[in-house]
Amino acid sequence: MQPSRTRTTVYYSLLWLVALLFFLPVFWILMASFKTPDDILAVPPRFLFQPTVDNIVSMLTRPNTIPYFINSLFLSILSVTLALAVSFLAAYTLSRYKFRATNFLMFLILSTRMVPAAALVVPIFQMYNAFQWRNQFGVLMLYTMFSIPFSLWILKGFIDGVSQRYDETGFVNGASRLHVMFRVVLPQVRPGLIAAFIFNLIFVWNEFLLNFILGGPGTQMIPYALAVGLTDSGGNVDWAFVASLSTGYVLLPTLMIFFFQKYLLVGMTFGTVRGEV
Amino acid sequence: MRSVHPGQPSADPMLLARRSPLRTFEESRFFSFTLLLPILIFFVALNVIPTLWMIGMSFYNYSLMSPAPPTFLGVDNFVKIYNDSDLWSAFGRTFVFVVLAVGLETTLGVLLGFLFWGSSNMPGRRLALTLLFVPMVVTPVASGLFWRLIYEPTFGVANYLLQQLSGQKIDFLTNIDWAFGAVLFVDIWMWTPFMILMTLAALGSVPKAELEAAEVDRLTAWQRLWHVIWPHGKFILMLGILLRTIDAYKTTDLVFLMTNGGPGNITELIALKLYRYAFASLNIGFSSALAVILLLIAIAFTSIYLWVLHLRRYREGV
Repeated sequence: MQPSRTRTTVYYSLLWLVALLFFLPVFWILMASFKTPDDILAVPPRFLFQPTVDNIVSMLTRPNTIPYFINSLFLSILSVTLALAVSFLAAYTLSRYKFRATNFLMFLILSTRMVPAAALVVPIFQMYNAFQWRNQFGVLMLYTMFSIPFSLWILKGFIDGVSQRYDETGFVNGASRLHVMFRVVLPQVRPGLIAAFIFNLIFVWNEFLLNFILGGPGTQMIPYALAVGLTDSGGNVDWAFVASLSTGYVLLPTLMIFFFQKYLLVGMTFGTVRGEV
Repeated sequence: MRSVHPGQPSADPMLLARRSPLRTFEESRFFSFTLLLPILIFFVALNVIPTLWMIGMSFYNYSLMSPAPPTFLGVDNFVKIYNDSDLWSAFGRTFVFVVLAVGLETTLGVLLGFLFWGSSNMPGRRLALTLLFVPMVVTPVASGLFWRLIYEPTFGVANYLLQQLSGQKIDFLTNIDWAFGAVLFVDIWMWTPFMILMTLAALGSVPKAELEAAEVDRLTAWQRLWHVIWPHGKFILMLGILLRTIDAYKTTDLVFLMTNGGPGNITELIALKLYRYAFASLNIGFSSALAVILLLIAIAFTSIYLWVLHLRRYREGV
């Protein structure tokens, strides 16, 4: 029995309504970034208004905005790429050479991501002060470290799924281990690489606490700018600035989940659940 | 050029070249350790050493406020934590927060997940799902600020609507009765989509054939849920609940930005408390001891997580 057309329409409208309800708060900020400061502070709130791009222009012309965006991009892309490289080597090794300590090592590495960042930040803060690592290099290494556990888990899961036969065929035909790793196995785990890349990118992109404490010039990212730059000279929250900056900032993760939606599930569960929704 | 006759000894220059030092190294038993070396360096330098340092510090009286050198205390810091009623209440608050947040997110997420089950032909599904999932990829700093604007007592839209409905306004984030609920609500907004995602995954893991068989056998909705869907879907749902629990327990940025623990300490969750001890009072010894406890709790969670995972592998024979 086919459900009637009206029923289907009602059903789909309901789903759209749910999705829009969840998006509404973000939409409200999106609107605020196109309002004049007076419109933002208007009582009662204005639902219809004359849109303006002044906020966005003034946000972009603040001396620190563009450098912060560049820091965000630079740190997140580079640290995640580095983490993927390191994790791929380790994931292949742990998958193919059967060490007795494999499960334990995987457990230890994952457990580092289960701890509140505030717990590790004190010793790292002291260590970074002692070594004078509170620069781009230090923060980059830290984010790489934080991106490794999920990447390792996702990639190990995917490499376990690539049959060892492929490796053996490669060896029989005279391929070297490195050739097998990069030319035979690597292309087959591309979905894993993409999922790990996207989700660690979003994580680093959104990270605040470590950045707030360890960051300095050259490493401070937008969440830091949002938290610190939110009050104007009068001590009031500068909502026009907050709205336009955060709207610009959530654009990247939003585009990511639009274009890479089929990797969402793998990414959010560290590769322990496969499939699409 | 490189025709190798079967009988020819391996004096062929190409074959000799192939047995390069790199090739020999690749086949040696040290090679696997070399591949693991980068990850071990990262792990040891930025995790093991700081953790050991932290564990060490937890036995010392060490404050950056006082010029006195650290003195060994034994387990005094832990005894102090045990006797600190303030910390116990922070743990209690965190527990309540985690239970309520995860409980409500799971309930709502499962219900909406079922609603979204069967939407595969929906027009614009990808866009709708993107809008639905946006709350969980917005940096908590930004979502904290979003909601501050919405909750704002004079010009916030939530208060405007409230006034239309009930004629009064509430300053949600500074009101003792409302602040905790207001933060909880934002967490639910952020993470219910995640539970929807996990529910969809769980439903997707039920084999189509079994669902069809259930239809043929005219199982009631309840029977179908209990005998067909639940046995397959429960592991993924459990994983989702565990991941959410671990994450809710770490909540820092959101409360930091929204209320900074206030009013009083109504929304001061344990992770924020730890941050305060470390960076407001600069009491490194005491905060390290607290961090060790949080670490142990996290390891307990992780163990449960992995146990569930193994259970799933075992059941499915993966």
